[in-house]
Amino acid sequence: MILQIDQVVKQFGGIAAVNGVSFKVGKQEIVGIIGPNGAGKTTLFNLISGALPVTSGSIRFKGEEITNQKAHLICQKGIGRTFQVVKPFGNISVLENVKIGAFNRIQKSREATEYAEYVLEKVALIHRRDSVAKSLTIADKKRLEVAKALATQPELLLLDEVMAGLNPGEIHEIIPLIGSLAKDGLTLVIIEHIMEVIMQLSQRIVVIHHGEKIAEGSPTEVTSNPKVIEAYLGEAVSFA
Amino acid sequence: MKRAVTKSTLLWLLVLLIALLIPVVVENKFYMHTLILILFYAAVSGSWNILAGYAGQLSLGHAIFFGLGAYTSTLLFMNGGVSPWIGMCAALALCMLVGACIGYPCFRLKGPFFTLATLAFSEVIRLVASFWKELTNGAVGLNIPFQAGFSNLMFRGKEPYYYIALGVLCLVIAVTYWIDRSKMGAYLIAIRENEEAADALGIPITRYKLYAVLISSGLAGITGVFYAQYILFIEPEAMFNVNFSVQVALISIIGGMGTVAGPVLGAVLMIPLNELLRSAFSGLNGLNFFLYGIVLILVVSFIPNGILPTLRGWLSKKRANRHSQLTQAIPGTQKGGGQVDSAN
Amino acid sequence: MTQFAQVVISGILVGGIYALISMGLNLILGVVRIINFAHGEFLMIAMYISFLLYSTWGLDPYVSAPIVALALFVFGWLVHRVIIQPILDTSATVKIFATLGLSITLQNFALMMWNADYRTVQTAYQTTVIRMGEVAVSVPRLIAFLVAVLISLGLFLFLKYTLTGKAIRAVAMEKRAAALAGIPVKRIYLLAFGIGSGLVGLAGSLLMPIYYVFPTVGTLFVLTAFVVVVLGGMGSMFGAFLGGLLIGLVEALAGVWISPGLKEAVYFAIFILVLLFRPSGLFSLGKGSEEVGLK
Repeated sequence: MILQIDQVVKQFGGIAAVNGVSFKVGKQEIVGIIGPNGAGKTTLFNLISGALPVTSGSIRFKGEEITNQKAHLICQKGIGRTFQVVKPFGNISVLENVKIGAFNRIQKSREATEYAEYVLEKVALIHRRDSVAKSLTIADKKRLEVAKALATQPELLLLDEVMAGLNPGEIHEIIPLIGSLAKDGLTLVIIEHIMEVIMQLSQRIVVIHHGEKIAEGSPTEVTSNPKVIEAYLGEAVSFA
Repeated sequence: MKRAVTKSTLLWLLVLLIALLIPVVVENKFYMHTLILILFYAAVSGSWNILAGYAGQLSLGHAIFFGLGAYTSTLLFMNGGVSPWIGMCAALALCMLVGACIGYPCFRLKGPFFTLATLAFSEVIRLVASFWKELTNGAVGLNIPFQAGFSNLMFRGKEPYYYIALGVLCLVIAVTYWIDRSKMGAYLIAIRENEEAADALGIPITRYKLYAVLISSGLAGITGVFYAQYILFIEPEAMFNVNFSVQVALISIIGGMGTVAGPVLGAVLMIPLNELLRSAFSGLNGLNFFLYGIVLILVVSFIPNGILPTLRGWLSKKRANRHSQLTQAIPGTQKGGGQVDSAN
Repeated sequence: MTQFAQVVISGILVGGIYALISMGLNLILGVVRIINFAHGEFLMIAMYISFLLYSTWGLDPYVSAPIVALALFVFGWLVHRVIIQPILDTSATVKIFATLGLSITLQNFALMMWNADYRTVQTAYQTTVIRMGEVAVSVPRLIAFLVAVLISLGLFLFLKYTLTGKAIRAVAMEKRAAALAGIPVKRIYLLAFGIGSGLVGLAGSLLMPIYYVFPTVGTLFVLTAFVVVVLGGMGSMFGAFLGGLLIGLVEALAGVWISPGLKEAVYFAIFILVLLFRPSGLFSLGKGSEEVGLK
């Protein structure tokens, strides 16, 4: 098990955004996390990546307790993440953005540059390497977000809605990228709203609703689960 | 990429060569004084640039370290006969210590509130320096007795001061250049641009901010020692002056914050203008600062990144356009394709 | 004991003026989300206008106060329109240094126009005092305080009960939602900047009979105002009012108990401590501190 989440709770004021969620992620697995808006998916990512402290529960990475550790330490241990609302370093070039990620494992500037170029090739953003990050299209900004996280050389990558806001053409371009990351030996946990995509990519799916896990299983198991269907009723989401 | 590095190194060396030769040609005392001021302001502003331009911590308390440096070496010299050269080392150490003590609690504050806190620290230190008469001689200030000699860091002519100021500036530039090219610079810029994203990429934010303030305040302390030895008179009102901090900031802002050459360019443009205005309109007190203010508003409103990055951005846009045209024209010829795989 | 009462009273009276200046600053901060580093220079300009009206036409500062306040309202409106509005969506650096640039410009404009001399007005009531037992209260200070209290009260009522006031508060709370509700946010910004500047104009008029005007007079008061705003909580009018009185008191007491030379150092020290440990303000009334970067 690369990631073990055990009875994790996060309260804001009196409201539990995440309420006793537990699940495990195996090495080189692709796990999808779905749930209606406001279900607590992003909060869960923030807890795993150390951006927010948990109220209770424990999170283990490769058997090591990482609960409530600082975000930068968790990244150094090998968990990378992207942000749902992209956070590029706006005033510097795409290459420099990715290079900053690369410095997580690499000390020398030239080697970091080379590795950043390699990552940019991989996410097909190399043609924009000298562009200022804030000038990118939203699709390219999402790619940059992935590239930055990837450059830190994580073992586990948390992808938070990297396809939200993209058009169908752009989505179909980015799916193979995610598939190729898995082939490289990365473990992936993906939050995604677009069902078609997550069903296609994930081996296993965790469904969260009102901060609680209501189902877990293969894509087909989950979609036929009555609880899941109930949770999604009223939300206009189509199961493709 | 490599060629660009050598090109800029060559340019720096050329500028240095010219700077070394200037005193051979220039005899006029007023010009020499102006040149020394350019070097001095470029150095102070360069030290501010490390904390503000790279790490994005907009301090208006930089005068604290400048003043502290000046008082450290001066008091050591006047009370203990310690050579200002040694005083310079003491100033460096003390300023780093004070910088860390002020920086550490203030780094929690963001944007204008960090700025306000540094401003308040600066005022507290000025008031304490004026009040602590036993140590600083209060608002009256300290006259440093003139005893020419290398070990006293005092000279009759202007040339030695010129070369020392040049040396200090070279030190500041070298340090900035090193930061700019290294992991440190990349991390400081990441912190400036977005702390949350920087955190997620494994950057220990507080530690890197501390590095920045240590370097920045230490270098500012050295410039303070130089100033005291050049002017031979220091007083709290002049040394811990918020307007001085603003002026130092302005120079970097105009030239370009977060670049190595920005502060130098800013000083080269603003200091002669300042001196010129002051001598041309000596009857009209305040005209130079009046224009300073207007320039500051115009620069931040219209070219907020400063002159150098604006020029550079314009150039790289042209290059990026050309590059994307090239790769579009010849598909599959994108250079540098995946031959490096350091993942394994 | 008498001396203590004397100090407390004069401290609180001066605090009234601090309150006016700080409420102006805080209104701008709360609504427009910008710290106006030139706020002190607005005060200085107001004092010069008051002084000029006196020296040219012999207008008493109290008589000319509405004119000065109106002039500053227009001035603030223009400054917002010309300088602030175009940079609202930019980085903190730009905002800090644009208003700082304005501060330098105005200060040195005054230096060029009127040189560095200290100027003041001569009025019949300048040195008049009322004796209450053994405590002497200076009349112009008392007037300044009473007017400050009245204006603050008027401002509270305006913000609380008028439609425009409610719109201002709505924009301060949540700009986007206010815009969606049909409130003209840009106009409200202009208005808030104008009112904030008008308040400082009034403060200038009230200050003129008891103080001097000189080009850098603003720096003294603006730093105090920053302290007050942080003490009282960012964006909180009531907090700014209380904070103003408190700082007046602290300053007066520190001047007696510690040393006149260090009284400013004392409140700057308080300022730093509050900023570091209680960024939401002493009275916890401040809202919007997250917006401006304090968690």
